[in-house]
Amino acid sequence: MRVKLKAGPEQRTFIDRIEELSGENVFACYQCGRCSAGCPMASEMDLLPNQIIRLVQMGLLEDVLRSKTLFLCASCFTCESRCPKGIDMARVMEAVRHILDPKGKDAFGPGEISPELAKELPQQVMVALCRKFAK
Amino acid sequence: MTVKTKKKEDKRIGLFVCHCGVNIAGVVDVKKVAEALKDTPGVSMSTDYVYMCSDPGQQMIIDTIKEKHLDGIIVAACSPTLHEKTFQEAARLAGLNPYQIEIANIREQNSWVHSDKDKATKKAVKIVKSHVAKAIRNENLEPIKVDVKKRALVIGGGVSGLQAALDIADHGYEVILVEKNPSIGGKMIQLSETFPTLDCSQCILTPKMVEVSRHPRIKLLTYHEVDSVSGFIGNFKVRIKKKPRFVDEKLCNLCGECEKVCPQIVPDEFNMGLSFRKAIYMPFPQAIPGTYTLDEDHCLGLSPVRCGKCKDVCEPRAIDFDMKETIIEEEVGAIVVATGYDLYTMQALGEFGGEKYEDVVNGLEFERILSASGPTGGVVRRPSDGKVPKSVVFVQCCGSRDTEKHLPYCSKICCMYTAKHAMLYRHRVPDGQATVFYIDVRTGGKAFDEFYQRTVEEDKVLYIRGKVSKVFKEGDKLIVWGVDTLTGKKVEIEADMVVLAMAMVKTDGVQDLLKKLKISTDIHGFVAEAHPKLRPVESLNAGFFLAGCAHGPKDIPEAVSQASAAAAKVGDLFAQKELSHEPTVVPVNDELCSGCGICVTMCPYGARTLDPSKGVVDVNEILCEGCGACAAACPCGAAQQRNQTDDQIFSMLRAMLRE
Amino acid sequence: MKLHYYPGCTLKEKAVALDISTREAMKRLDVELVEPEGWTCCGAEYPLTEEKIVGLAAPIRVLRQVRDEGGEVLVTTCSFCFAVLKRANKALRDDPLKRKRINAFLRDDIQIDPLTKARTTDFEDYNGEVQVLHLLEYLRDRVGTPKIKSRLKRDLKGLAVAPYYGCRLLRPQEEMAFDEPDAPRVFEDFLEAVGCSAVDYAFKQECCGSYLSVSLPDAATEASYRVLRAAQMEGARAVTVTCPLCFYNMDSRQAAIKEKFLDFSGLPVLYFTQILAWALGVDREVLGLGEHAVPADSLFEEVPTTEVRT
Repeated sequence: MRVKLKAGPEQRTFIDRIEELSGENVFACYQCGRCSAGCPMASEMDLLPNQIIRLVQMGLLEDVLRSKTLFLCASCFTCESRCPKGIDMARVMEAVRHILDPKGKDAFGPGEISPELAKELPQQVMVALCRKFAK
Repeated sequence: MTVKTKKKEDKRIGLFVCHCGVNIAGVVDVKKVAEALKDTPGVSMSTDYVYMCSDPGQQMIIDTIKEKHLDGIIVAACSPTLHEKTFQEAARLAGLNPYQIEIANIREQNSWVHSDKDKATKKAVKIVKSHVAKAIRNENLEPIKVDVKKRALVIGGGVSGLQAALDIADHGYEVILVEKNPSIGGKMIQLSETFPTLDCSQCILTPKMVEVSRHPRIKLLTYHEVDSVSGFIGNFKVRIKKKPRFVDEKLCNLCGECEKVCPQIVPDEFNMGLSFRKAIYMPFPQAIPGTYTLDEDHCLGLSPVRCGKCKDVCEPRAIDFDMKETIIEEEVGAIVVATGYDLYTMQALGEFGGEKYEDVVNGLEFERILSASGPTGGVVRRPSDGKVPKSVVFVQCCGSRDTEKHLPYCSKICCMYTAKHAMLYRHRVPDGQATVFYIDVRTGGKAFDEFYQRTVEEDKVLYIRGKVSKVFKEGDKLIVWGVDTLTGKKVEIEADMVVLAMAMVKTDGVQDLLKKLKISTDIHGFVAEAHPKLRPVESLNAGFFLAGCAHGPKDIPEAVSQASAAAAKVGDLFAQKELSHEPTVVPVNDELCSGCGICVTMCPYGARTLDPSKGVVDVNEILCEGCGACAAACPCGAAQQRNQTDDQIFSMLRAMLRE
Repeated sequence: MKLHYYPGCTLKEKAVALDISTREAMKRLDVELVEPEGWTCCGAEYPLTEEKIVGLAAPIRVLRQVRDEGGEVLVTTCSFCFAVLKRANKALRDDPLKRKRINAFLRDDIQIDPLTKARTTDFEDYNGEVQVLHLLEYLRDRVGTPKIKSRLKRDLKGLAVAPYYGCRLLRPQEEMAFDEPDAPRVFEDFLEAVGCSAVDYAFKQECCGSYLSVSLPDAATEASYRVLRAAQMEGARAVTVTCPLCFYNMDSRQAAIKEKFLDFSGLPVLYFTQILAWALGVDREVLGLGEHAVPADSLFEEVPTTEVRT
């Protein structure tokens, strides 16, 4: 299916919002793919980090918001440390998570941790997970 | 230099307002401007015309100057950068001193930036009025004349320096070629074969090297370094340091006995450290001059007491441990800077392991591995264990195009040499796999894209569009983590060798020299050209010319063209009997100068020095480019630019601000 | 001397070994660790969008308290806490808008003075005055290798240990300013100072899977396996970490790793402070070795406990 690219202000709004939230210039990306090449979680992702940023550049909001990738980023900043254009991809990921439907389901919430597991987990991981993946 | 000029009260100024078609007249009422100025004191006539720069326009100016006995004219037209010279020449033909010409810019600074006709016309009147105030105060000036020493200095003996030296010498002028290494040849002599023709690099460069060494007008100074340069265009004094070679090049018969007995083993620079040489060595067989050189830093001690084995076996008695560094002085009129480039260090890219793993090499190391004269005799073998690598990964843009952590620019030649590397590797190792990681493949050049396509189509080199994130070792394999952005697959390749196309950078070793030459460089340390389009081989500093990669990344044909262009420019300079220099310089009024030296620090051209005996500043008018920085900074009013004095500028302001 | 120390939540519960060994080791280096009064959780994750600024409130409260207690330096060991505190501190130093907004938010805090029981509300703006240091930095820059060496009581005989940096210490480099992200040295230098030999391996700065070990355990299992295997292949007898979450992923979940990757035979994981404390002469019983899923006792046993002449 041919994807129709929107050319109007509506599409700009999405890109502007991502740039504003993340503080990153998504148009600085020249798609070298280094973020994906070094990403420890890339093998689990449906869209690679460079594809996420490409879709943001193209204004294809729905494709980005549907992606599992948003919840596979461990914020390890490996991509950030090697990006030749200085884009912090973890921030872009967080910005996209930020604009997900606030009424939608949590990707991962405290309820999904069983009491037995909770006994075993370091405190920090529970706080971190909820901060990252719950509303 | 100033010559006698009429007093300002007696001056007769003519005003010529140009329509420039509709460029000016479309916005400014030119007739109104001419009319408005008619009665301004000092103006004795005013008129307008459709194109002042046209032949009839110029003729009208010439005729009017003669007819009305004008002492100065104002052309209200475009920017002085375009036609000031045209009208100065017209004035000269009419017998008027060319420095009595004023250009009032009513186009770029008025009609092109405004649309309100009424206001633009008023502004034009003010601009022209300010020039009247200046014109009546202009003095007659004569260009400053200076002799030219018709000898050139070329710094750097790579292909660019060699070409520049040969061309200048063939124009009939003497050349001094200084090279800091023991032999000429530069980086090009280290290359295996050159793209896109696959000529053997040594085969095409050595004839040029021989020609240089035999040319009657070229004085070749290898193992020499430029120590300092003083003077100015046409009249430079150069101090050149002769480093002791400890071998008399005239006596050395290249028997090689010294090398056999030398106990000191040193990584071989010519082979990028992939093999070893002795402390007394010949850099490579075709080195010019053909002589051994004793490397002081690695010799056991330059004394028969310490070692002296080489001296013992030297039959022609060419070895002299007592040689000392000496300084020679030369006078030249022009200097060509051809100091070349370096490769960005692999250490800066820790994630590729270039410093850790022997089998991760840079492009120049791979050239040596491919070269028939290299450490492996042209058989592709990896450095760690000498095995023939069956899988080689090439990574482009290592350090280049990385605005964030490394270098923002494209190094330009890596796409082509990587294609060449991959192609040559496939020719030498037909069952080997070559994989290239790239972001873009840039093949702008004659027969370049065809070459790249051949690499892909005929030699079956796999090009993967994506950058490598990490290279690490597992057992005796290098694991390369990359991505193919075209399929969206993260990929991993087992390689026997990894070749990094490191960015081209400024030569660190010459940065001090460039500072001493006071030659301007860009933010990356490359020598800056005077104009990126129209003066690409001249430095901003008069008398300096650039050739090759000292100016920025380029391939061999480009470096050679630039060298020939620089030589042609040197020829232009030397073809003149004497040089003339704009007289609109900033002299010093000794009476007013307090000797504070502020202007000395302001001057970008080194034209001003503090004379300690007189306690005032001394100006070399030949070096002064008339930028006016000193005049603006002088707290005493001692620095006054000719025809741009404080008095003139204030009178212009008064004319402009008066309603 | 006294030094402000932020343990963080996990060290009070699941990573007691890290806390205890830190205290015991620092005691032997003449440093008394003081916790800031009433400290809370740092938030674990530094907020990465411009609008989640409220995430800065917790770490800044801690830092403000350190300043108000006269502290100039705050030391942490947990990588997560270190990253949050360091980045929040830098944000307040560098970004006037964040500084203004957070201080406005925190101005109305109420705090009870532990001695006088008086209620304090009048807080002075916090502008990033405190310096946040990781204990590894503190040991390198403030204590110094010579002093550490002079206090060593046990000879570790060059025990081959693989330092594991993980993500948070090194990245983003501009904010963490800890070490070269792809060629770090500080952990290696520490290990060599205490008498170990630092194993160089290619995965010291890779991610262990972090919090994904809960939401996507398989991915974290694989990530941790890669690190452990790479270290083992280079001859490491143990991997050492600074972070309780790295410890959890690589130690507590090693059973899962072994189950999935049959070529892996197990490798002990240690907190760096356990090695330090041991080298400085702390008793084995105090090191909290009971917390380890992969037994590490043997490493401490086979090292002869003869006193090193100092």
